[in-house]
Amino acid sequence: MILRYDGTFAGFLTAVALARERSAEPEAITDREPEQQGLFAAVEEVETDRDRAGELYQLIRRTLPAGAVQTLRYAFHAGEPGREILLFRYLQLGLTTGPRFGAMLAHEAVIPVWKLARAVGREAHRYKGLVRFRQLEGDVWYAAMEPDHRILPLIAPHFAARFADQRWIIHDRRRNEAVAFDPARREWADIPLEVTGPLPLSAGEELFRDLWQRYFDRLSIAERHNPKLQRQNLPLKHRRHLPEFERE
Amino acid sequence: MPELSLAEKLEILADGAKYDVSCASSGSSRRNKGGIGNAAQCGICHSWTADGRCVSLLKILLTNACIYDCAYCVNRRSNDTRRVLLTPAEVAELTIGFYRRNAIEGLFLSTGVVKDPDHTMELLIEATSILREEHRFNGYIHVKVVPGADLLLVDRLGRLADRVSVNMELPSRESLQLLAPDKSREAIVAPMKRVGELIVQTKEERKVSRKIPPFAPAGQSTQLIIGASGESDLQIVSLAAGLYGRLSMKRVYYSAFIPVNTDTRLPSVVGTPPLVREHRLYQADWLMRYYGFAAGELLDEEHPNLDLSLDPKAGWALRNLHLFPVEVNRAPLELLLRVPGIGVRSAQRIVGARRGGHLSLDDLALLGVVMKRARYFVTARGRFGADMTPDAAGLQARLTERTTPRPRWSQPSLFDGANAIDIRSTITGEL
Repeated sequence: MILRYDGTFAGFLTAVALARERSAEPEAITDREPEQQGLFAAVEEVETDRDRAGELYQLIRRTLPAGAVQTLRYAFHAGEPGREILLFRYLQLGLTTGPRFGAMLAHEAVIPVWKLARAVGREAHRYKGLVRFRQLEGDVWYAAMEPDHRILPLIAPHFAARFADQRWIIHDRRRNEAVAFDPARREWADIPLEVTGPLPLSAGEELFRDLWQRYFDRLSIAERHNPKLQRQNLPLKHRRHLPEFERE
Repeated sequence: MPELSLAEKLEILADGAKYDVSCASSGSSRRNKGGIGNAAQCGICHSWTADGRCVSLLKILLTNACIYDCAYCVNRRSNDTRRVLLTPAEVAELTIGFYRRNAIEGLFLSTGVVKDPDHTMELLIEATSILREEHRFNGYIHVKVVPGADLLLVDRLGRLADRVSVNMELPSRESLQLLAPDKSREAIVAPMKRVGELIVQTKEERKVSRKIPPFAPAGQSTQLIIGASGESDLQIVSLAAGLYGRLSMKRVYYSAFIPVNTDTRLPSVVGTPPLVREHRLYQADWLMRYYGFAAGELLDEEHPNLDLSLDPKAGWALRNLHLFPVEVNRAPLELLLRVPGIGVRSAQRIVGARRGGHLSLDDLALLGVVMKRARYFVTARGRFGADMTPDAAGLQARLTERTTPRPRWSQPSLFDGANAIDIRSTITGEL
């Protein structure tokens, strides 16, 4: 059995509920086109059922310790294909174990999920610093990023609290997803977004980009020059949308 | 002389501030109260410069003019450099401009001393209050206290800032007299003491009423220059231990001496600054703050300096082999923390995981233990994982193998209590 769902958390939980009902472990749970369709197992489309998903989620929250639920939610946002089946095994173990599950850190079904959650958490934390806004015409603040994991929903609350008086958009250009924040209503919304041409910058934007670049260049101490350490801390993949590296 | 542009002033004043290694933006959790900005408890790095250090704050001087003539300082009176001044309003404007772009986590404001300490402090206070009151800025602010300033000004500054610091710079009274003859030890220690008292006192008052504004909620810090004067590591580590213990200091920063002036009172340095020594001191500092080590356990009169080729925890373990190996399934947390290769997070994880079942050696690696080092010091279910029984000489050779010091670590401590960004707290939101 291969279960295909719509990519949402509720969809995933529906698929898990379905598999649990049949007391079978699926070969795969996926939100993309399977590569070898129908060779060994038929692909079954799972229609997201919010009620069933909600029911299962309540069961999870009642049974698993809070930390384990968070680990599950974070790991779900990982970019790795194949994560769903790891999450499925993790959940199965957690639901049979109960509160003791929190101490099973070294279990083979727990470690891979915990590692995914850690990778997602790290990237989300990192992007709290690496999301860089530019002021566009019309006083909209726009930031582009290309993270490995689907971290937009995880970082949106941070920026909503921090820049509560700005109209801002954070754009995941890898997935063509964005979060837009409206300061009047203090709400953010997920929007699909694709940018093709150059964006119209506000009048003051060039000045501040120049100020920032000059400032950044002066900060480094020549006697301590250490580009290897810099690359270790800030890999090249993270530099693409940072103005201080635009000239490289 | 033509008036300098804001960009030129920024360059000059960033140049003058960069030698202050303090960079952390952690330890404060200010909320956005109807304006812009907040402060994240765990601290956030926004970029990394070509020397590998992180950029978290707009680190800048209000002015590089100074009435003092400290031998080690790039801004000393006798240097023939261009002196510029930002107005407090300009400091605020730059901070907000960078902050809105999310290029920084807040402001680190230092300064040369103009006219006298009180006047200088008043300018710092003005810049800070413009940010807090006019711009309604709730982000992180770290401001230097000017030694010798009126203690009432210290009080005002601490109510506006998240962190305040007085730089000690030189680890002993004698070096201070030699290299910074205009400053006295008393002028440095008095505001530190005052800050320490106010932090403790305000915390107590805030338990009664939350309306009292916090005083330097991210604590106070200081900086010591390493290698400009002759103090041993033992003297430096003991001084730091005293600062943590008696003055409730949050952080002591160690800055490898970089010669920016030629002066006969300074050591003639060739090559790179003592970065490895700086790194070892940070490690020792970490061991004191998070691992329960006392200064006297790391160094003594017979061994007054840290071994550059071996990290201080491994050094301690080699001197105390009678305590090892420890059984990971039984050892208390305090002992696990003393095993080379086991950090704070992996020690906590071991304690958590062994409640769920006996741990094997393989489990340890999965829990984040660095087995390359730890295997000589632990057993799991009674099993010992190394091919040799520990003896000091052989182990020393093993542990320094391929770990010859490289000057890569400029500042291992990018956030206060890097342990505080334990990923679990990021995930669960617990603080």
